[in-house]
Amino acid sequence: MAFARFDSDIESKLESTMSTPSVKTSAEIPVGFGEAAFEAFLATRDEPAWVTESRRVAFQRYRELLETDLDPEEWRRVDLRAMRPDRFQLNAAAEANQTEQNTEQQGNTLLAGQADFAGHVIHTDGQLISSELSEELAAQGVIFGDLATVAREHGELIQKHFMTRAVNSQRDRFSAWHAAFWTGGTVLYVPRNVIVEAPLHSLIKLQQEKAADFSHTLVILEEGASATLLEETASEEDSLGLHVGAVELLLEKEARLRYVQLQNWNHKVWHIAHQAGRVENNGFLQWTVGGIGAKLAHIHQDVVLDGRGAEAEVNGVTFSTDRQIHSFYTQQAHNAAETRSDLLYKQVLRDEARAIWRGMIRVEPEGQQTNGYQRNDSLMLSPTCRADAIPGLEIEADDVRCTHGATAGRVDEEQIFYCMSRGMSEYEAMHMIVEGFFQTVFDRIPVEAVRETLNQAIIKKLGFGR
Amino acid sequence: MADFEEIASIDDFAEADRLEVFVDDIPVLLIRLQNQYFAIEDVCTHDGQPLTDGCIEGGAIVCPRHGARFDLQTGKALCMPATKPVRTFEIEVRDNRIYARSQ
Repeated sequence: MAFARFDSDIESKLESTMSTPSVKTSAEIPVGFGEAAFEAFLATRDEPAWVTESRRVAFQRYRELLETDLDPEEWRRVDLRAMRPDRFQLNAAAEANQTEQNTEQQGNTLLAGQADFAGHVIHTDGQLISSELSEELAAQGVIFGDLATVAREHGELIQKHFMTRAVNSQRDRFSAWHAAFWTGGTVLYVPRNVIVEAPLHSLIKLQQEKAADFSHTLVILEEGASATLLEETASEEDSLGLHVGAVELLLEKEARLRYVQLQNWNHKVWHIAHQAGRVENNGFLQWTVGGIGAKLAHIHQDVVLDGRGAEAEVNGVTFSTDRQIHSFYTQQAHNAAETRSDLLYKQVLRDEARAIWRGMIRVEPEGQQTNGYQRNDSLMLSPTCRADAIPGLEIEADDVRCTHGATAGRVDEEQIFYCMSRGMSEYEAMHMIVEGFFQTVFDRIPVEAVRETLNQAIIKKLGFGR
Repeated sequence: MADFEEIASIDDFAEADRLEVFVDDIPVLLIRLQNQYFAIEDVCTHDGQPLTDGCIEGGAIVCPRHGARFDLQTGKALCMPATKPVRTFEIEVRDNRIYARSQ
């Protein structure tokens, strides 16, 4: 496949880093996220005025919100005391990992090599490492690259979409924090009626001890456009890290997007993200979330159906072990008639892990003849884990179908016994049961590579190879 | 087993009978009771919320919300609504400094 390279800017930065010692390095951004860190961070960025201005507004808001309590509905069950953001440090310059970028580019990723991608973007510790897009797609007007570059080169295109419609930078402490300090991220723009068949790949890595990543994903699909974006996060085995992210998916009329985010940090990373998708008339968003890693992950996920006939399918697969905490706060908003949303989260827990899911279907008075569904199932592999599932409905229209359900239970000892009586080991039996539990979500994931990747991650987590 | 981490100094107890500290990235409540130190995970096993401001009575801490009691030495849940023990940490005092590790 032919590739056009868009990383010349980074290469020139690399050169300047090597030749001029006065270029800002990570040592020059103070640890933490105070005033001094913010100013030092801004000094390292080469950005259009509107970006700097929006950062300043957000930083101000962040400082205000730090003084107020978090919304107890969303945060009551999530313990952030041990996070201590002041330990983490933003990485300033693109000098990061020069030597490793070629040899270790793929590192411990799960998805790379599983499929043919039409393009990729790779970030490490918040810095762009490389980005590629097939020439054929670039010629059709598709833009796929890192946010900092796209904001410079196509500012007029993304300014009206960036943190205005989907994720509101004013909303809470974390969205403001992200808006002030976003380090990079991935932008995908697909023009009207352009169909991108092959999936695109984005990889976000954390490498250094106490590194912070504030990646932002922005996907804009114009009318009738279609694309698949697979995004994954990965980190070095044992380093402490922080991710405060945002994902914005904007679908115009009849656009179709399949978006997969596979969170696979190590067990020392704090992951907090605001994610939102908005779908116009007859658009279709299929959104799959895989939560494998992190010490604590909290995702605020909104799916907003704005146009008649808009449709969203949200799939979640999480596997929590040790003392991991996976928390999801999801909302399906039906703002127009004849919209359909279908959310299915499947969660497996072991050891002393915790899973928290609080879901809401909200139907506005305009949302007549909508169909909303949400379901959460938890399978507990040990008596010491804990799952909290809190589904909710808020309906203001009078002609709708809205349903929800939640289940939680242990593995049936008799099933294990039956499998073992047929010659399987206990591990094999357990794997079969876990795989079977996830199957209903796997059946809904159309990309073979993602199914296979998730399954591999599950096998690894169960603690044996096959 | 994890190594001992230095978490506080004895002088920190000049005006307080308890300190909020972290061991292995876990929020821990370090309590001084008659010159003896106890460390427990600062989370009630019943509702998952902090025990920080709970009263200490007869070698046990009482959860300020629903009244669950936990033995400071063993972590054992002494009454409903808690049924599971709270995690405890091993303490060592050397040269005025307090060290802790997971048990």
